[in-house]
Amino acid sequence: MLVKDIMTRHPIMAASDTPVTEVQSIMSQNGIRHLPVVGDGKRLQGLITRQRLALKADELGSLNVWEITRHISQLRAGQIMLKRAQVITVTPNRTVERAAALLTDYKISGLPVVEEEIVVGIITETDLLRAFQIMLGLPMSGVRVTVRMPNRKGEFNKLSSVIAQNGWGVTGMGSFPTPRNPGKYDLVLKIPDVSVDEVQEALSSIPDQTIVDIRAAV
Amino acid sequence: MTVAQPVLAASRPPSRLRKLWNSISIVFQSRIGTAGLVVVAFWVIIAFVSLFWTPYPPNSSLFVQNLPHNSTNWLGTDHLGRDELSRLMQGTQVILLKTRLPGENRIAIPGGVAIWGVLGSLLLGSVLGLNAGYRGGWWDQVIMQVLDALIAFPVIVLYLVIIAALGQGDLVVIFAITITGAPGVARLVRGLTLDIKTRDYIRAAETRGESKAFIMYREILPNARGPLLVDAMLRVGYAIFAIGTLGFLGLGLPPPDPDWGNMVNEARRNIFINQWAVIFPSLAIASLVIGLNLFADGLREEITRYQK
Amino acid sequence: MASEITYGHTGPVLKLEDVAIAYKVRGGEIEAVQNVSFEINRGESHGIVGESGCGKSTVAWAIVNFLGANGYVKRGSVKFLGQELVGKRGEDLRRLRGDQIAMVYQDPMQALNPSMRLGDQLKEVLTVHRGLSNAEAEKRAIEMLERVYMPDAANVMKRFPHQISGGQQQRVVIAMALLNNPALLIMDEPTTALDVTVEAAVLDLIAELRREFDTAIMYITHNLGVVARVCTKVGVMYAGEMVERGTVEQIFKHPQHPYTQGLMRCVPKLGADKASSMLYPIRGRVPPPNSRPIGCIFGPRCDYARERCRLERPQPRIMSNGVEVRCHFAEEIDPAQWQPHEDIELPTVHEVAPGEPLLKIEHLKKYYEVSGTTLKDLLGLTPKRYVKAVEDATFTVRQGRTLGVVGESGCGKSTLIKTIIGLENSTDGKAEFMGFDITGDISSRDLAVIKELQMVFQNPDSTMNPSYTVGQQIARPMLRFKTVPKKQVRQEVIKLLQAMRLGENYMDRLPRQLSGGEKQRVGIARALASHPNLVLCDEPVSALDVSVQAAILNLLLDLQSKLGTTMVFIAHDLSVVRFFSDDVAVMYLGQIMEIGPADAIYAPPYHPYTEALLSAVPIPDPTAEQKHIRLEGSVPSALDPPSGCRFHTRCPRRHLAPEEGAVCATQIPPWQEIGNGHKIFCHIPQEILRTFEPVISIKEKDESHVS
Repeated sequence: MLVKDIMTRHPIMAASDTPVTEVQSIMSQNGIRHLPVVGDGKRLQGLITRQRLALKADELGSLNVWEITRHISQLRAGQIMLKRAQVITVTPNRTVERAAALLTDYKISGLPVVEEEIVVGIITETDLLRAFQIMLGLPMSGVRVTVRMPNRKGEFNKLSSVIAQNGWGVTGMGSFPTPRNPGKYDLVLKIPDVSVDEVQEALSSIPDQTIVDIRAAV
Repeated sequence: MTVAQPVLAASRPPSRLRKLWNSISIVFQSRIGTAGLVVVAFWVIIAFVSLFWTPYPPNSSLFVQNLPHNSTNWLGTDHLGRDELSRLMQGTQVILLKTRLPGENRIAIPGGVAIWGVLGSLLLGSVLGLNAGYRGGWWDQVIMQVLDALIAFPVIVLYLVIIAALGQGDLVVIFAITITGAPGVARLVRGLTLDIKTRDYIRAAETRGESKAFIMYREILPNARGPLLVDAMLRVGYAIFAIGTLGFLGLGLPPPDPDWGNMVNEARRNIFINQWAVIFPSLAIASLVIGLNLFADGLREEITRYQK
Repeated sequence: MASEITYGHTGPVLKLEDVAIAYKVRGGEIEAVQNVSFEINRGESHGIVGESGCGKSTVAWAIVNFLGANGYVKRGSVKFLGQELVGKRGEDLRRLRGDQIAMVYQDPMQALNPSMRLGDQLKEVLTVHRGLSNAEAEKRAIEMLERVYMPDAANVMKRFPHQISGGQQQRVVIAMALLNNPALLIMDEPTTALDVTVEAAVLDLIAELRREFDTAIMYITHNLGVVARVCTKVGVMYAGEMVERGTVEQIFKHPQHPYTQGLMRCVPKLGADKASSMLYPIRGRVPPPNSRPIGCIFGPRCDYARERCRLERPQPRIMSNGVEVRCHFAEEIDPAQWQPHEDIELPTVHEVAPGEPLLKIEHLKKYYEVSGTTLKDLLGLTPKRYVKAVEDATFTVRQGRTLGVVGESGCGKSTLIKTIIGLENSTDGKAEFMGFDITGDISSRDLAVIKELQMVFQNPDSTMNPSYTVGQQIARPMLRFKTVPKKQVRQEVIKLLQAMRLGENYMDRLPRQLSGGEKQRVGIARALASHPNLVLCDEPVSALDVSVQAAILNLLLDLQSKLGTTMVFIAHDLSVVRFFSDDVAVMYLGQIMEIGPADAIYAPPYHPYTEALLSAVPIPDPTAEQKHIRLEGSVPSALDPPSGCRFHTRCPRRHLAPEEGAVCATQIPPWQEIGNGHKIFCHIPQEILRTFEPVISIKEKDESHVS
């Protein structure tokens, strides 16, 4: 799973001379929070986020309504955008978790995806959260089971051989070290076309592993 | 099991005149064409009027020589004291309305020298062009080489050669116009033929085993008439121009009928006394030629639009 | 099948709402397109189907602002990537669309500069738009050419457009369009001019690229089969309106608008024949834009029309299965209950027992001499070279039967027909028609033979002489062959016109006053005027819209069964040939590869070429399973055809032949008799040929299982 697999390709973009009024309507009408500003053949020049649209009081001569409207109508995307040097970007071949780390590290919510300075897509929190859902098999129905196992080699093999014996498939999977039980891992599996009881019976026979949660889920 | 069709009153096929009018009347769609038509129509009407009435007898020296325009002689008089307007009016006849046959008894046939000359070049050019285009091969090579050689001659030289060889006379001028016009028409027809002969309806005629002549004259030629009509209009203009030139050189249509080119030529000698006698016939030639050109342009514009 | 998982932003790339497009003309304006709405998402290909003149290309031109000086978007909104395009001016539009929309046309030469090397044209896109260095651009361009499976990409870069084949040109155009990674790709009949095997490869490519680049594709075509193969959603347009829109599966399985249903009934299914199935043309014709009815636009031609349909224009409604339909009574219409309207013409077909052999062709050859351009050639010092257009054709057509000839362009099928009819003389071989020798051209034939051999042409616009009335043109063969006394010619012409289902009032019309279908009817009438014994049809329906095509096929069938005319029928559409013919010959590069009864050709054992052809045919049924066989490379030149079996260079089954296919290159294959007149020209033993699976299998899905 790389950035290029889950990013939004062909994102909505603006040019640096697009009026800010238009930028505003583009962002609100399409429900987007990040608008890359490009020029010269889709080359990234900057990024506009919702916060950039907020008026900066110190740039205004007065708080007169007419003054504000005049000021806004003259603003261009290039004036309010975050300049290229300040925009954090990612390349399409980074891993998804790297992209997620960038988001959390910088406390931002989206990254333009650039390839040699050309914008090829955008990846946002929404994309990552959707990827997370799909990773755990949300769109498909099946039995969702959480198995707690010790952190040592060969444990997963035991589990997978049981699944293989029963001829089951797996549509979603994730593993998490459990912070409250050091040395243990929780493994979440989504198994389609089986019943809860079947899974319960088959998995509970594995030594050292316990089922902490099992449910039929969609 | 035929399906009932709405029975319409058996519609009569439109008459030929009607068809001709239909194809001419599209000219009114174009402003340029209408303007040209008005100019041409003006001269044609003048020509018809001159058959029955001119202000004064055109060949009688009734007035003072070299008068400028005045209330008696609207366009003045020439170096022999003849009425310029009457002569100008009469001058349209030889171009557009009548051709005088040689001989003592002064027989004239309808259709002016310019008209017959162009019809002649259309006829000769079409025959050559159709044969070259449809038959191809050696026919094409030989016909086009000869015509190209003809085109290579300057037109005026060709005229002079023909008239020098055959003497003056209306028929000779017609012949000269025919010979000089035919190569151009032939090229045009050949081009159209090369295009039309690839159509499926020509294949259909061939699969019926039709003769080559039938295919050329009945299947191909009618479809070339649009461009040919336009070309003919232009050529009438050139022919009038050529007649004017020949008249100016003193080799044009023989007297007694006045000829515009000849009028210019004679008036030229007195140009410092009476420049008007040069200007009016020149204007007459120019306006008729331009009128025909505009008309042809409008026709071409509308015909091509019509075909789309 | 689980719904396709989509990542990323789900807003549409292109969204049209209630768009009306008008052209200003002399004395008013014409609304070519009315109230069209649809949207296309990333990675989705949306088909727009409809017959000619329904406004599908106009919609595309409106999006890219190519409407010309007199066209404009009159109402509605066109949103591209969330931004309104209507009402914006030049520079703004260019910035918005910029390099984000690309267009691919039917004719690739429209997009390629004939005087520039392909590589330079491809590189230009990158160096001008992107400012890449020349070397970098070259690398990218070659990569992209390889992405579109261009063989020998580096070499193609150095060539000029005319030096590669049509299918390859279209690939270059697609590569060029994709170089900028556009958000929207508009394709206007991109495969219509291509042969079926090439078309199949291009369609595969389009489907693949859509997924990989997440490009939104707007795919305009008249071919229902193509839509079924490449599109996820489809909108059906009729007379400037979108009458039905939904997923491909829904539209093809449960068409709800009467027009869509009518279209489906017009196309012969691959494998359907005239004895067991029927084509139902849609009655009437498309109203011209300035005289559309006030009520439902399809009302006058609809079999279900009621009072309300005449008075009120239906608005699009979303049906229970998610399909948008513009019909008042869509719920009540059950296509299974449909009965043909009494106005439509249906042929009566009865199986004809093979009669006496009428046309016997044996080892017929037609070579054209090619003159070289070098000095040596001019002096005649080099050996003469020939284009071998037809090589060794042998077949017999019996009285009352129809022989279909199929093959890709340049396979020699047209030359074969021209030789039979006498437009060309044959080079070698025997050809006998009704006992007369017809190896010479038409000038060497007797009028009695000419009269019995007539032809129907492909292009309705050039089949009739524009200068003569319908009556004159039909009368001409009668006068020429003196089949009818002069006084009765008029009566006879009227009779013939009525047989063509054209009224007497057509007598004095000129060709330009007729529609394409009517012209074709007159063309058929002219061919039949001399009561010929054998009629050669050269693609008589390929230039017509499907509903007209159905009517013409029905007419031909009806006439054939009434008059007992024998026919040779050329077409590139395999379903039409199957439907229409009793026997079929498959040609490749001047050589007949397989010949036999139609049902035998379309079922195993196949010749490998027939198999490849059949697997390339786009089928208007998204549930049909088709074998995936694609031919590599392009058809070799007929100037220098491959030795041995002419197909060996591209044969996908060559390894099955003796000696791993080595014989194919050296020896001319034998004619293998399969039985019942079915013969295959191949080295592969028929025992192996018989083991081939059928190319197409229609999966009959159980309804209850799907829900």
